[in-house]
Amino acid sequence: VNAAGIGIALALLLPATAHAVQLPPVTRATLDNGLRVIVAETRELPLVELYVMVGSGAAQDPVGKEGLASLTADAVTRGAGTLSAEDFARAVESLGGSLGAQAGTDGTIVNGEFLAEDFPTGLDLLRKVLRDATLADDEIRRARDDQLAALVAALEDPSTVAERCFGAFLYGDHPYGRWLDGTKASVQSITRDDVKAFYDRWYRPNNTIVTVVGDVRAADVLERMRVALGDWESRPDAVPERAGPPAPITARRTLLVDQPDASQAQIRVGSIAMARNAPDLLPSQVVNTVLGGGFSSKLIEELRVKRSLTYGASSMFVARLTGGDFRISTFSKNATAVETLALALEVQQAFRTQPVDAKLLGKARTFLAGQFPLKLETPDALAGRLAEIEFFGLPKDDLETYVSRVEAVGPDVAHQMAERHMPTADRVAIVVAGKASEIKPALEEQFGPVRVVAREECEGLRP
Amino acid sequence: VSSSGKTGAVLARLVLAVAVLLAGRGPAAAVSIPAEEFTLDNGLRLLVHVDRSAPVVSSYIFFRAGSRNERRGTTGIAHLFEHMMFNGGKKFGPGVFDDVIEGHGGSTNGFTTRDMTAYLNNFPTAALPVVLDLEADRVAHLAITPENLEQERGIVMEERRLRIDNDVEGAMNEALYLQAYQRSPYRWNTVGFMADLERITLEEARAFFQTYYAPNNAVMVLSGDVDPAAAHALVKKLFGDIPRRPPPAPVDAAEPPQDGERTVMVRKPAQLPSVMLGYQAVAATHPDRPALDVAAQLLAGGESARLTLDMVRTTEVATGVYADLRWGIDPDLFLIYAQAKPGKTADDLIARIDEGVSGLARGPVAPEELARAKRQLRIELLKGLKTVGGKANQLGFFEVVFGDHGKVGELEAQWNAVTPEDVQRVVAKYLVPERRTRAVLQPVQPETPASARPAAAETGAPS
Repeated sequence: VNAAGIGIALALLLPATAHAVQLPPVTRATLDNGLRVIVAETRELPLVELYVMVGSGAAQDPVGKEGLASLTADAVTRGAGTLSAEDFARAVESLGGSLGAQAGTDGTIVNGEFLAEDFPTGLDLLRKVLRDATLADDEIRRARDDQLAALVAALEDPSTVAERCFGAFLYGDHPYGRWLDGTKASVQSITRDDVKAFYDRWYRPNNTIVTVVGDVRAADVLERMRVALGDWESRPDAVPERAGPPAPITARRTLLVDQPDASQAQIRVGSIAMARNAPDLLPSQVVNTVLGGGFSSKLIEELRVKRSLTYGASSMFVARLTGGDFRISTFSKNATAVETLALALEVQQAFRTQPVDAKLLGKARTFLAGQFPLKLETPDALAGRLAEIEFFGLPKDDLETYVSRVEAVGPDVAHQMAERHMPTADRVAIVVAGKASEIKPALEEQFGPVRVVAREECEGLRP
Repeated sequence: VSSSGKTGAVLARLVLAVAVLLAGRGPAAAVSIPAEEFTLDNGLRLLVHVDRSAPVVSSYIFFRAGSRNERRGTTGIAHLFEHMMFNGGKKFGPGVFDDVIEGHGGSTNGFTTRDMTAYLNNFPTAALPVVLDLEADRVAHLAITPENLEQERGIVMEERRLRIDNDVEGAMNEALYLQAYQRSPYRWNTVGFMADLERITLEEARAFFQTYYAPNNAVMVLSGDVDPAAAHALVKKLFGDIPRRPPPAPVDAAEPPQDGERTVMVRKPAQLPSVMLGYQAVAATHPDRPALDVAAQLLAGGESARLTLDMVRTTEVATGVYADLRWGIDPDLFLIYAQAKPGKTADDLIARIDEGVSGLARGPVAPEELARAKRQLRIELLKGLKTVGGKANQLGFFEVVFGDHGKVGELEAQWNAVTPEDVQRVVAKYLVPERRTRAVLQPVQPETPASARPAAAETGAPS
């Protein structure tokens, strides 16, 4: 048997998933104005996804104007070019399509979906949004009112309250601790000039990636891009200087958010971890799958299956441009909230100190590898992943090598990752959002001093 | 029991339209999901849709067992049972179901509605035999033990707290159906009443399984990288020996006539008023259903739809509005839900909804407005077919609710046939106060107990 023969034989013995990720051809180009364009041709459905990443988000909100990136994103589709807000909505919806924008922390996503045959019209609408948004006074007022209403409505949802308080309590003054929608006071202070300035500065080709995935031809897309966006003017200061990594947590802190009407408490516990481009991220995600990914994780086993304390429990690494966090999320009725929190933390502590079970690790690898093609099934999902590679500066073959990198994570590396990136129990931020009178005594007894706030007080909260 | 006697005959109806799915690529091509269809001797239906675009398969098994099949005193048992189905059979013992699926690269879940319970898995092609083995084992030999029941009872109670008791919209929805239906089992929520969840017995769980988890009460759907003949052989081997059982008694969903509008006030700690309106409408198979679908789209399908335009933009009474006819085996509700902007009231919302609905009844809708609604419905349908799982779900849903999976291919033609007069007629007939129930949210501002406040002050929290 020659070497090539052995190679083939081995390949056949590998799990079917190992080399099976088939990606459509991807074309990448950069226009003279710095606009990066990515095109992938898929043929399954007669749809096309337009997915634009503008590289500025809530992290670029000026202090005191938190929520500006969100408000700007909301405003850009409320009238553009010669179309009023109503005409614009009608133009999109007459095609049966969609086109909207939403700010994130590091960037803003403008995306739309159309029938492939409507791509030229869809692109023209997108061009108007990116280059020629009207930002009329009255539309800014409407967007501001909507955002203020959303801030109020967010207080109704216990899980949202917990997320918001956790972000602020974990990240403190770092921009990553900001709530995307800002605060009541900051949103009220945002003017049309603020929105215009944000739009004029950041919505620029040299700060933007356009990804097109669907039943289109790359050459045709590129040609149309050049026509629609080739003379879009760049700006030397359009690429933001990013905040440094967030400060690690040096001592445990505990926040109890009082929701006196809640029969169930939301629980978050975590610490500062790593950025999206950290080489440790993928192996850490593999080992985290054993602890808190999927339905057969250790957290599910201990909290849900063995004790019926909760309906859901998970852990994850949230990874952004210059930093991120590790967090455990779960919930339980008020009476068992502290027991649930303590057990979640105990499971995680044991996990980071003991070697990772090789069998469980193997299962986690197979799970991630097996699910990977399912995560790239839709044009919008693929567009998001391709844009992510570009935005975070990941290797261009990130998707092609994903499965082999997952398969390479052995027990030693896994244990190192758990030790390095999952926190010790004395260096975590804890947020419990539930009925304080019922939870506080036990929480103090187990975790020491507890700070209690009303849910409204998470606006502008500092650790 | 072998099904060999009918080996040739199980191909009751081979759908020949294998390449019909969007074959024309133009707007005129009907959206359909071609499937090969088999029926085992024991009555199990098998639908296979081939999609080789990725080496993945989605399996769904549907049982005609939803909360409509429950009785007073055992509400929630269908959903509780869905949970119990993950806890082991004979060949695969307690706690290994999730383990084995994930260990083969698959993910698994289930859901329960008023009409059905479904179990789904998305996995790499190579895992098909083990996935079907797991499914057959739990259908044939589920371990209905006290441990299994007690474990899931607590988890489901947490799920109820999450989805209903601590969720304003969930609580409104439950209150609406309880008021809108007097006699039909559609009246209670799928998650069930807490008191019933507390008392459901093992005998009741066993009886439910015996009655409803029969092969002749189930539909298996496979979608993706799968060969129909091989899949059929495998399903026959694994499921063929499970005995047929007497068909469950038909559900009596007849409602007494509704002679006047009903109102239920929901007092909940909440920030913004809202209303949820339910109009007694028609079953999914009723000839008036397509026109009501179009009416829902005209009312709230996008920013340019009538209610959205009026309530969110023109009069600015609502943060958002939603309209939808639920497709049920029995006549379900045509729902309209709206949340007030700060300072606006439930009465403001109802007044504008009444105006918008009666406007649809008063005069014929303009051709371009009707065309827009139909195009949106078509694209929404297309979007449901992006994934192998989405297609499996649709096939099974149509088989169970519409009585024939092929009906999915008729949707577009039905919508296209809707005339302006049809819209006027169904709105005037169904969307009237005499058929309506209103759930009106009365927000109660939560009190913050004194015990929580001093602690906040001591630690210097901003207030």
